[in-house]
Amino acid sequence: MSWLRNPWGRPRFLMLITGGYILWSVVPVLLAIAFAFNNGRSRTTWQGFSTRWFTGETGSVLHDSALRDALGHTLLLAVICVAVATPLGVALALGLQRWRGRGSGTVNTLMLLPLVTPEIVMGVALLLLFLRLFGGIGLGTDAQAIGQVTFTLSYVVVIVRGRLVSIGPEYEEAAADLGAPRRDQFSRVMLPLLAPAIVASAAVAFAISIDDFVVTQYLSSDASTTTVSMLLYSSARGAPTPALNAIATVNLVITLATLTFAYLVYRRFAGREEATSIATLEV
Amino acid sequence: MGSRWTWRLVALPGVVWLSVFFLLAFYVVLAVAFGNQDTLSQPVPHWNPLDWNVGYVLDTLKNFWHGGPFLKVSLRTVEFVAIAVALSLLIGYPVAYFAARHAGRWKGAILLALIVPLWINYLMRMLAWVNLLAPDGIGSDVLHGLGIEKLFLTLGLLDEPGGWLNGQPTTVILALVYGYIPFFILPLFVAIDRIDRRHIEAARDLGASARSAFFRVTLPLSLPGILAGCVLIALPMFGDYYTADLVSASTQTNMIGNQIDELMRQGSEKVTGAALTLFLSLFLLGLMFYYLRTTRRAGTTAQTT
Amino acid sequence: MEGEIRLEELCKRFDDVTAVDGIDLEMPPGEFFTLLGPSGCGKTTTLRMIAGFERPTSGRILLDGTDVARVPPHQRNVNTVFQSYALFPHLDVAKNVAFGLKYHKLSKEERAERVGEALELVSMADFARRKADQLSGGQQQRVALARALVLRPRVLLLDEPLGALDAQLRKNLQVELKTLQTEVGITFIFVTHDQSEALTMSDRIAVMDRGRVEQAASPKEIYEEPETVFVADFLGVSNLLSATAVGQDGGASTVRVGDRTLRALQGATGARGDVKVMIRPERIEIEPHSNTGEDRMPGMVERSVFLGGAYEVHVRVLGGELLKAMVPNDGGVAAAALEPGAAVSLHLPPDAVRVLRTSEPAVEAEGEQPDATKVADG
Repeated sequence: MSWLRNPWGRPRFLMLITGGYILWSVVPVLLAIAFAFNNGRSRTTWQGFSTRWFTGETGSVLHDSALRDALGHTLLLAVICVAVATPLGVALALGLQRWRGRGSGTVNTLMLLPLVTPEIVMGVALLLLFLRLFGGIGLGTDAQAIGQVTFTLSYVVVIVRGRLVSIGPEYEEAAADLGAPRRDQFSRVMLPLLAPAIVASAAVAFAISIDDFVVTQYLSSDASTTTVSMLLYSSARGAPTPALNAIATVNLVITLATLTFAYLVYRRFAGREEATSIATLEV
Repeated sequence: MGSRWTWRLVALPGVVWLSVFFLLAFYVVLAVAFGNQDTLSQPVPHWNPLDWNVGYVLDTLKNFWHGGPFLKVSLRTVEFVAIAVALSLLIGYPVAYFAARHAGRWKGAILLALIVPLWINYLMRMLAWVNLLAPDGIGSDVLHGLGIEKLFLTLGLLDEPGGWLNGQPTTVILALVYGYIPFFILPLFVAIDRIDRRHIEAARDLGASARSAFFRVTLPLSLPGILAGCVLIALPMFGDYYTADLVSASTQTNMIGNQIDELMRQGSEKVTGAALTLFLSLFLLGLMFYYLRTTRRAGTTAQTT
Repeated sequence: MEGEIRLEELCKRFDDVTAVDGIDLEMPPGEFFTLLGPSGCGKTTTLRMIAGFERPTSGRILLDGTDVARVPPHQRNVNTVFQSYALFPHLDVAKNVAFGLKYHKLSKEERAERVGEALELVSMADFARRKADQLSGGQQQRVALARALVLRPRVLLLDEPLGALDAQLRKNLQVELKTLQTEVGITFIFVTHDQSEALTMSDRIAVMDRGRVEQAASPKEIYEEPETVFVADFLGVSNLLSATAVGQDGGASTVRVGDRTLRALQGATGARGDVKVMIRPERIEIEPHSNTGEDRMPGMVERSVFLGGAYEVHVRVLGGELLKAMVPNDGGVAAAALEPGAAVSLHLPPDAVRVLRTSEPAVEAEGEQPDATKVADG
């Protein structure tokens, strides 16, 4: 492969750009995380190492009620979102995959639309929906959860469907051939084979929910429905302490842990290539 | 195997959910936009299409037609998005290409570095920049020290030293690039990675130089990926408001998303806000369906077993 | 336990494609019955209908007299070995084999016993605890067999089970499968596109093309007495010649090939007009150019392909067609002397020459009209 080794040829130039990009991409965040451990109140001047903003007596994630509640609410929404979106999405994926005849194309498009709709459009639509049509539910936690489910659903469907396609119809046929009635074909064969995809899609839904902003903000009602994202947004203008960095860091750790979990589960059962496509959000 | 209706029934809950909380929600937008306002300036939707009141929608249209603020904002948005996408392409393609083709044993690590930003909270990433670009921020100092600040000042891209966050279009555009470029690079990386190496080997075998092979084989084959990536980031950019809000103190850099946000959450003109949302959606509809058409999942593969 | 299958006017249409076009077949119990044909001919679809994975558009599938066409697959006493084996990846070998026994009301001990028996039968007893994806292709195939046979079905369906294996393994497994079938005694219905495989293993073959059965008979009959051009061509080399049938002389049909006259004792000897004649390579006798008697055609050797046990000699005859003759490699000088360019005379004995109609009638019943005469000597 001598053509790769051009002296000062394309590869080196590209290497610089790539390296530069990665640094540009990652360094600001690393700095932000670093300052979460700052000993003083500044977010720009280093004053020594400390975990006070995480666990300290005052103003920390653990002890400041605003921060703690935001984190709690974020996790609550994520749990509800996963609990609703996962079964709904798995069922939709199964149904879509095996749909015979007309309508499947339309449903498929319907399912994909939330993925390409800008969030503000969804935010406005859902806001008006809960203000003017479903006033009984109104804004707040329920609305936020519903809104989140609505677009995480599509991610679940896409992931599960990918797995369904690679599993193929043969195992169920074999099960039927061997005497298993419909229900057993599903519970004894299909479900075990789908399990990694279900788990992975739940984890992805969780991660997406945690980091969601627009829809969650639009459907919030009062301070009790604040999430970490919303907190980050609203505090940016004030004079925030590194506690903001701290809570962002906590959020980040949770997201990455969830993602890593999903990746590993998938890789263990379905192979590396499929696992990578989950992580890269093949959308 | 199985009756026609079993699987449709299984899919039903999901379909119902999407129909209600997506389709119906969108219909509410229509009903509000073509509706009215009550004495408290709250929107009154007109559910029946025959009842629709085109007043507010027309007013909004007139705003565009007569060069009003809406038109200014929209043009600015298009400008921002166009430049941001172009920059993303300029920076992103080489990175994606390198990662896919020349990364060698570092491919995994680079891929990881490309994936991670995708999953970091968008706001956290933006705030990191806000922090850096603040007058006393590290970033501000670095840019000053490297002479980049001077360059931008001379080029008219920056109004005053250290004033990165004072409502500079440059900052907003660069922030948009920063925010969305991971969503561009990754699919592009996958697309380029998927190009069968044998095509390139064949080209080389037939006498093409490395550069020629790139322009005549790799680039054309990666074109679909490029287009898809551009559309993929353009869509959310058109609806973005939080980026401009965070990195710019002035409303001079407002995008259409900001306008809608203002009308919906801060002002009391939800009807106009709905109308604008409608226009934005119509504008983007073409892009949305184009994207769905060209990605793998858009097509249904009828299983005929 | 019988295991007889009858297909009556079985038809399957997918939208506007007719995969199976009204076939009638009789598959006697206890036989190794093969459905043979090129891809797309409908053999797999037919098999899947017998298994229950496809619903026939019309027609009947009679299993020991009962029409099971509308019975779901899990209720038929018929089991399948899939082309890709479809062993459940999340279960080990023993659990795979035991899968269907759950529906057979057996005690735990009986189940274990049957599983053991089945694994013994296919020589896979040592692999009981292995995971399915840790097995080689041949091993997976055996487990798939065990999994099906443990349920003691009346009929076993095999969908190109040897397709994914390499040549040597295939040959071995062909023998094993055949032996197994004889041992177990149940009906095997085997789908393949490999004609030599079909000839080796089957008691009966049904040759299919484009959704119809061309001919159903024993391997010997199918090979030596093909009824249509398609069947003749599909199995072995057919050496088809275009000819005109001009008359009958005693029991033999007289055909003109170019300016030569040949006699044919086989096939549609009563036909007139445009026909095709065929002769198998091993029946052509290569003689010195000087022999110009009856039933002979002059030609020139184009190439002689060495096959190990024999030579396949390609001879270009006067009309331009290429005939392939098989000359055994018996160490004799004659065979080796057939160099390209050598002029030879081909003797086509009338009892080896078969007349085939060109309008390819599809034979639906497996019986054929017995030849008017089978005179030993022409």
